[in-house]
Amino acid sequence: MARTTLKRVHGYLAEFDSVQDVYHASEHIRDAKYRRWDVHSPFPIHGLNDAMGVERSKLPFFVFFGGLTGITIAFLLQYITQVMIYPTVVQAKPTNIFTTPAFFPVMFELTILFSAFTTVFGCFAMMGLPRWNHPLFTSKQFKKFSDDGFYICIEARDPKFHQVETKAMLEKIGGKNIELVEDEL
Amino acid sequence: MSAHSITLDDLPRDGERLDLAKFSKLNGLMFILGALGTVISALYLFGVFGPDRQAQFAYSWLFAFFFYFTITCGGIFWVMLQHAINAGWSVAIRRLFENLGANIKWLAFFAIPLVFSPPIREALWEWIAAHREAAAHAGAGESLYDSLHHMAYADPHLHLLVAKFGYLNMPFWTARAIFYFVVLGALAVFLRRWSIQQDTDGKFSHTFRSRSFCCLLLLPYALTVTFAAVDWIMAMDYSWFSTMWGVYIFAGCAWSSMAVTIITLTYLRSNGYLGKVVTEEHYHLMGKLLFAFTVFWAYIAFSQFFLIWYANITEETRFYLTRNTGGWWFVSNLLVWGHFAATFVVLLSAGRKKKPVLMSWICVWILFMHVVDIYWLIMPERAPSLTHGESIWIDGAVWGDLFAFIGIGGLLGWATLRRLAKASLYPCRDPRLLESVTVKS
Repeated sequence: MARTTLKRVHGYLAEFDSVQDVYHASEHIRDAKYRRWDVHSPFPIHGLNDAMGVERSKLPFFVFFGGLTGITIAFLLQYITQVMIYPTVVQAKPTNIFTTPAFFPVMFELTILFSAFTTVFGCFAMMGLPRWNHPLFTSKQFKKFSDDGFYICIEARDPKFHQVETKAMLEKIGGKNIELVEDEL
Repeated sequence: MSAHSITLDDLPRDGERLDLAKFSKLNGLMFILGALGTVISALYLFGVFGPDRQAQFAYSWLFAFFFYFTITCGGIFWVMLQHAINAGWSVAIRRLFENLGANIKWLAFFAIPLVFSPPIREALWEWIAAHREAAAHAGAGESLYDSLHHMAYADPHLHLLVAKFGYLNMPFWTARAIFYFVVLGALAVFLRRWSIQQDTDGKFSHTFRSRSFCCLLLLPYALTVTFAAVDWIMAMDYSWFSTMWGVYIFAGCAWSSMAVTIITLTYLRSNGYLGKVVTEEHYHLMGKLLFAFTVFWAYIAFSQFFLIWYANITEETRFYLTRNTGGWWFVSNLLVWGHFAATFVVLLSAGRKKKPVLMSWICVWILFMHVVDIYWLIMPERAPSLTHGESIWIDGAVWGDLFAFIGIGGLLGWATLRRLAKASLYPCRDPRLLESVTVKS
């Protein structure tokens, strides 16, 4: 007896023949105001961000505060130990706020370190990583995306997603092998 | 994506020519200011206002000369770099750098008092005065070196000068000064000439020849700028040394010349030139380089300060001691916050770099900070040297700084504008022009 599993629609996957096709299709989908969709291509396509209408990432905003935290921690760490708790006077150099130049290398390094951590982990968080599997890997034809295929996937969680209309639109803008990708629950 | 992508047919075949008549007001103003400043400077330089003012003005002249020298060297550097790395994006703006670099002929003329006038150079470089004294004391059959050696017995400070005799001596120093202008002049003249020849014959060979020329001569260029900075600025105090010096000056060169070019570009575009050839993408790319050199300058400046601060060698710390005393402390801090911090924050955003008018105002600020930088390098030496350490500021000498600055600046501005009108504003038959015009960053 075959086991029945619950399935959830992930979205429509459509194949495109060339960079031009996928580029213009992206412009079309962007203008149709879809929000939850992505393009999969074996190589970066110049100008695709504009064609997809991708908004500027919010990541730099968080990275700025990551760096700020790093520089503050580095300064306090050194100021508290080197000035307040145990001042070391070397060759009559000051131990007060004018000692700051000596702290710069550490302040610089910690700024970079905290910014880098914020970038990497912020990036993971915003992309929803790590995850074990992606529903698109259930599609047989999708394997071509890392070789010579160009794909667009419009996801079902998009508020504008419609079983019939979305499929019709993908056909109209030149999508081939349109497939309804389902995710096993 | 623009509705219609530009092709070579959209651009005028023979490039764009600047109509000087349109700029007669500005050009006349710059000439009058330049001539006036130069005439007053000449009075100072010939000692009409007395030997004291003449010695003080020597520093003013060096300051003004060196400020424009850095900008000119930066112009040459950008042309060389763009050729050497085969840069495609920069073709549309390369002619502006070429014209900026060609000012080197004028600067060679302005350098004559510094190199050949004894009262001027002895006021600036103490070692020259010491050498003259040694020459006067030299007995029969005694060389200058021996005489200097004898003087060092009486004054132990001069031992350093004896040790540096192989480098710091008049014939070698003069020959080096001439050599710098020959090398820089050749670079500026040939690169500009070949580029303009290509405008008429369109031969690719000019591009290839420029490329190999620049690859071969980047090292001599770097040495030239480094040693010029050492000879003219660092040697003002012959006991002080810093191995970061050449790189520090070079960072200022690249920074300030990029700022000048962005301002020039915006001015030309606002008058209806280069509208199709230069896009905001070029501004973005130039802004990125400007930003890079802001960081680079700060990195070099801090490294130099930090190593000296930690090492605590007596001769070295004097440089920063002078500049952290009295009013100079505020100037040092202005450099930290204005030259680096403010510029860094303002240039950080990509959107801001794409706004020509905003970028030009940032560049005006950058140029101002470069003036402060060069002033800060030279002027703290003036009063201690001339008064033998009794004062750190001379009242009234700042007028000389102003006249020298306006004089050289006015004449160079006038010459540059005229030079811009002599050929197309961009290399109109460069093989990579289309690549540059349609660049996206």
